[in-house]
Amino acid sequence: MNSVVVLIISLVVFFVGYRLYAGYIDRKVIKADPKKATPAKMYMDGVEFMPTSKNVLFGYQFKSIAGAGPIIGPIIAIQWGWLPALVWILLGTFFIGWVQDYGSAIMAMRHEGASFGGLSHKLISPRARTILLSFVYFYLLLIAGAFGNVVVDTAIRLKPAPMAWLFLTIAGIIAGQMIYRWKRDIILTTIVTVIIAMLGIWVGTIAPSNQIIGETLSNSRLLWAVAAFVFCYFAAVMPIWKFALPVNYVAAYIVFIGLFVGIIGIFILHPDFTLPAVTSFSIPIGPVWPIMFVTIACGAISGWHSIVSSSGTARQLENELDARPVGAGVMFVEMMLAAFALVIAGTIYASPADYGAAIKLGPGGVFAAGVAKFLNAVGLPTDIGRSYGSVMMVVLAITIMQLVVRFMRVATSELLAGWHPVFRNAHVGTFIASILGIVLVLTGWWQYLWVLFGGANQLMASLALMLITAWLMSEGKSYSWALWPMIFMFITTIAALLYTSYSLLNKVLVGAVKGQALIGNTLMGLVGIFLVVAAIVLGIEGIKAFNKYRALKNNKMPESAQA
Amino acid sequence: MGEKEGKEKKKGGFFGAVKEFVYGVAAHDSARFALKSRASMEHLFILITMGDMLGVPILPPYYSLRLLPYVVPQISTWKRRMLREKDLTDALA
Repeated sequence: MNSVVVLIISLVVFFVGYRLYAGYIDRKVIKADPKKATPAKMYMDGVEFMPTSKNVLFGYQFKSIAGAGPIIGPIIAIQWGWLPALVWILLGTFFIGWVQDYGSAIMAMRHEGASFGGLSHKLISPRARTILLSFVYFYLLLIAGAFGNVVVDTAIRLKPAPMAWLFLTIAGIIAGQMIYRWKRDIILTTIVTVIIAMLGIWVGTIAPSNQIIGETLSNSRLLWAVAAFVFCYFAAVMPIWKFALPVNYVAAYIVFIGLFVGIIGIFILHPDFTLPAVTSFSIPIGPVWPIMFVTIACGAISGWHSIVSSSGTARQLENELDARPVGAGVMFVEMMLAAFALVIAGTIYASPADYGAAIKLGPGGVFAAGVAKFLNAVGLPTDIGRSYGSVMMVVLAITIMQLVVRFMRVATSELLAGWHPVFRNAHVGTFIASILGIVLVLTGWWQYLWVLFGGANQLMASLALMLITAWLMSEGKSYSWALWPMIFMFITTIAALLYTSYSLLNKVLVGAVKGQALIGNTLMGLVGIFLVVAAIVLGIEGIKAFNKYRALKNNKMPESAQA
Repeated sequence: MGEKEGKEKKKGGFFGAVKEFVYGVAAHDSARFALKSRASMEHLFILITMGDMLGVPILPPYYSLRLLPYVVPQISTWKRRMLREKDLTDALA
């Protein structure tokens, strides 16, 4: 099939899903009311609660949710064939993805901008809140491990990447100084720092890492894992304006220029898929159900989005009608991004064997090769295009990683400070997070790590859908549009986590793995088991809450009938 | 004339929307973090000076009363932010 046909089908799904399905739910079920005061207006504090234009929020939501996830997931999942991956991306977004993103935003908005902890306490049970918050820590750890692995693999596989990454970091630090200390014009700052970052992409091609530090060091996983977490360490402990924010600022331009030009390249070349539509039901990481449904997370549905929608966006929406374009609309745009990633993986290799050899070394190489090919269509030399693709991959992964390590520092303080005050120290919390992350990166096989991250992510999505269903039930609204996606995601995710944990721990118990892999398998298997137990307890709490709302509704019926 | 103005407004509207989108992608997050940092400093200051309003008397009321006129505009949002339930997900977005 031709890639342009795939993109046209995706656009049709986008149109029907956003205009008709989401529009119907917004108007008839939720009854979004432009006259109703939103939390941003009612509780405006100029900080978190702030009425903001829907265009700004569209950009904010997109930037917050579109990381490496929607790109890496399809690149890995095409091992089952591009057709099942495409079907899941389109139908997952249509029936589940936007429901979760939009539902989380509107639910938080109708609860005075409450966050998920408060909502789970109110709508499900106090125990649900405790489990949710302890679950979030492991979720963050898996994100750090999975994305750390992507950074390490990309730095080893693509030798121009480290130099380009270094230049980007320098550009980010200069941007921070120019904006906040030297008070320079933002346009001048942007032009100067983006040029420095672009220069790094070119310098990477003439000074690759193996020429500077030698073959042994440039292929050292330990070196690049430590480099990635040192980067995150600075982002976590330094004032946010000096490092994390300006690096992200410059990185945003690099990523979006690359994506925009790359998409033009796809339309110019409009290649056919060279990989098979369907390969086999089961591949080394597992069967298509349930594993593919967690491998492609962000491109179809992702729990991360629900956190951004509830704690971030819902407090800034100035009009209830804006929840649909911001919550649902951005999810459909992310679906398009995942479809583009699928096109990249499915069209750039001449044969499945070439793709198989490339994916064994990690998704970074596949992505960089695709970016190089499509940027070449608009005239950029392939070696510079490959360098550009490699830095995009590093940037997409590390910008999320640095945020995650920062949050893990906060989480360590919240969870352990009562036990010993030393855990309040920023350096201690960051160090613990970094060490755990490095252990995962060095000892875990990246495909399993990605599946576990996807499982935790989808579990978060199931919990968000559970909260949305409980809220709809409590309000007496139609809830099947959230309940069935929740049931599907819950069963699928638990099955995926059980399957992966069993595969990992079974290898440990039969002695099939030794050394680093033994540590990695044990650690990942235990985290998977913890997530399953947490999910089952939450599921039971959820069923109790649903029964409570059903009973309340049934008890109310006679009274309303009398009235 | 009116039609021309309408067209200009529409054109400005489109470019305005693009401008807002770019700002949302590149800088809105930074602006929010900067505001949060400033707000947490201000809230700490108000907690020290006006803590007795929340049952946490830190400064003697004499100094609190001297500072009260300067703090009045922020008291309602400060109390709401201090007393609102927060969790880890608040730090995530």
